[in-house]
Amino acid sequence: MLKTDFMGLKLSNPVMIAAGPWNRDGKGIKESLEAGAGAAVTESIVSDTVLDVRPRISCDDNGAQNIRLYSDIQIEGWEREMDIAKSSGGIVIGSVSGNTASEVSYLASKLERFGADAIEISVSNPAVESLEVVASNADVVYQMTKECVSAVKLPVIVKLSQNTTNISKVAKAVKDAGGSGVTAINTVRGILGVDIDSAVPMLSTYGGISGEYIRPFGLASVATIAQTVDIPICGVGGISEYKHAIEYIMLGASAVQVGTAVMLEGRDMIRKIVQELEIWAQDNEFDDLSEIRGKALDNLKSFEEMKFEPAVARANGASCNENCEKCISACMYNAITKKAGSISVDRSRCTGCGLCTFVCPANKLKLDL
Amino acid sequence: MLQREKSVIIYLPEVVNGQKVKAMNIKQIAKAAGVSVATVSRVLNHPENVAEKTRIKIQKIIDETEYKPNWFAQGLNFNKTKTIGLVIPHTLNSNYMEIANGVEDVARQKGYITFMCNMEGDPELEKEYIDQLVTRKVDGIILLYTLGLDEEYIQWIEELEIPIVIIGENRIKSDWDSVEVDCRAAMAEITSHILECGHRRIGMLRGTDPEMETRSMMQGFRNVMKASGVRAEEKMILDVDNTIEGGYIGIKKMIGGTSKPPDAIITTSDEIAYGAMDAIKELGLLIPEDIAITGFGNDRMSSLVEPKLTTVELPFRKMGRYGARILFDHIEEGRAIHKKHVTRTIKLQAKSRIRKSCGNQDRIGEMF
Repeated sequence: MLKTDFMGLKLSNPVMIAAGPWNRDGKGIKESLEAGAGAAVTESIVSDTVLDVRPRISCDDNGAQNIRLYSDIQIEGWEREMDIAKSSGGIVIGSVSGNTASEVSYLASKLERFGADAIEISVSNPAVESLEVVASNADVVYQMTKECVSAVKLPVIVKLSQNTTNISKVAKAVKDAGGSGVTAINTVRGILGVDIDSAVPMLSTYGGISGEYIRPFGLASVATIAQTVDIPICGVGGISEYKHAIEYIMLGASAVQVGTAVMLEGRDMIRKIVQELEIWAQDNEFDDLSEIRGKALDNLKSFEEMKFEPAVARANGASCNENCEKCISACMYNAITKKAGSISVDRSRCTGCGLCTFVCPANKLKLDL
Repeated sequence: MLQREKSVIIYLPEVVNGQKVKAMNIKQIAKAAGVSVATVSRVLNHPENVAEKTRIKIQKIIDETEYKPNWFAQGLNFNKTKTIGLVIPHTLNSNYMEIANGVEDVARQKGYITFMCNMEGDPELEKEYIDQLVTRKVDGIILLYTLGLDEEYIQWIEELEIPIVIIGENRIKSDWDSVEVDCRAAMAEITSHILECGHRRIGMLRGTDPEMETRSMMQGFRNVMKASGVRAEEKMILDVDNTIEGGYIGIKKMIGGTSKPPDAIITTSDEIAYGAMDAIKELGLLIPEDIAITGFGNDRMSSLVEPKLTTVELPFRKMGRYGARILFDHIEEGRAIHKKHVTRTIKLQAKSRIRKSCGNQDRIGEMF
């Protein structure tokens, strides 16, 4: 039921484990696959390994920041690691990163020889990239993809960054260069916070923000690409439960990747997501997840396509025992009042912004004509 | 089982006062393990083809007896000496040593020893070393910033069918595999930066070697100058030796008699820049207030001199690594230099390192 064809790769399910330190070697990847992931992406492999800074990962309730810089195993060592990674079967995608097209294609051709099933090119690293981000330069992405595609027979997927003015243009460059798919999105450049007693940021340099924080950006990027470029998409960013995976798929993704949640909660959560996804598909009588792919895009309009309907909020004099008054505080138009345990909306004041329907913990308010 | 363990003890090398008297040979190892010589050989050379139980047993004996295979015999058997040659222009130049470090790192992982030959900038010595390496049956050769070989020599070496890779500029043949850095783009970037800092009278100290890279750098420099509409000061573009002394003398020549020194000097190597800085200071001028300066290479000293030198970071270790990687691809695939389908050229990128010597005021360049 969850079987997925992604760029010709036959996945047992659409949930992959993303590139990251949890897939830093063959053993880690093998464990990821044994946990039930549809595929596992290696930590990004580069030409020249550098020492890791310490500390390099921080987190709070909503996500994480990392300044970890790529795999600490050189390409030579990945011959051995790939053997270990694939020793119990499963699909392994080799992630590569480099400054030039010839570096990237060389690393890709090596990983092909070592047994990788596909190549993912990482074109952004929020920790070290400068003011000019490679991932926002469609020409460079085109060159890298093209040279890589001609160097290997495997499907080549490019992991895009949200840090660009026009992600569609970059996705189109990948397609034009012969790339088989795109992954969206990589972590977003950021600083998680500052300790105000010591005036020290949580990590000593800018890093990539991941987790809950970036899911809205990931969803939007996937939807944008799906609406503009005909290319298979793998959605990534802030997935920690099956519902998030469905959101990505409904916005056009064929498969998804989980990273930060695996880092914080362990690989078992993959098994849980896959199981719950299966139950959801069964309950909703879907034989194949491709039936829901892009389903939400029909309801996602451009601003120009939207209709301006004079909808306003309605409470229908609902009795309200909540003591929160959140709707009253949130109403910027002073349209909501509460008297003797019931809420009412002044429909002449309400402008239909809709905020009250989201803040009410008891779902008492509705927007209608 | 017991019987075999006993036999291990029998064949352990004789130990007198804690000193091993005689090392075992492969026949004795085989006898001790109760297997054939061929099986021991497979454990040493292709362990993946031996059953795990047997492999562990034989490996244990090998470890205990500290058996080392005969290197010469192995070379004869497999037609591989597990050695590569690396010909270097100057061993005293730390940049070349960093490249060599990258080469050796990959070679070591492949179980290879690297013969390093210092040609001291002498083209005849370069050829002599290549001859020597060929005589010693190395499995492949890396030429670092080769000084160039004549037609006849090239033909001879191609007939030998030995894998060769060139690191740095390729002055031999465009279809020989090589690792190159885009020096033109790097120099264009640094020239743009100097112009952005507000400098207009720009001098250039141009190293006489490496010739091709310097030519690429000049293209980058001239392209940017032309595009910006700033006229290059031709009298202040001087050819100097690519050494600290070269930079020192260059400045004395350029500024010595002039009443109007340049605002900034671009050099083609860090070494030239160090010498130039020394001479500028000696002339009583301040860096960067009176004259700004840039280097090329980003060697370790560049961030330690005062003021810290703005330069271009060349990926030396990466150059070495890739040179070795392509060479081992050929060695492993048994491909000789001219018997391959596609020429493999790895192009690498250099990166500006903006520090203080160029006179930049903001920190943007330094932070990123």
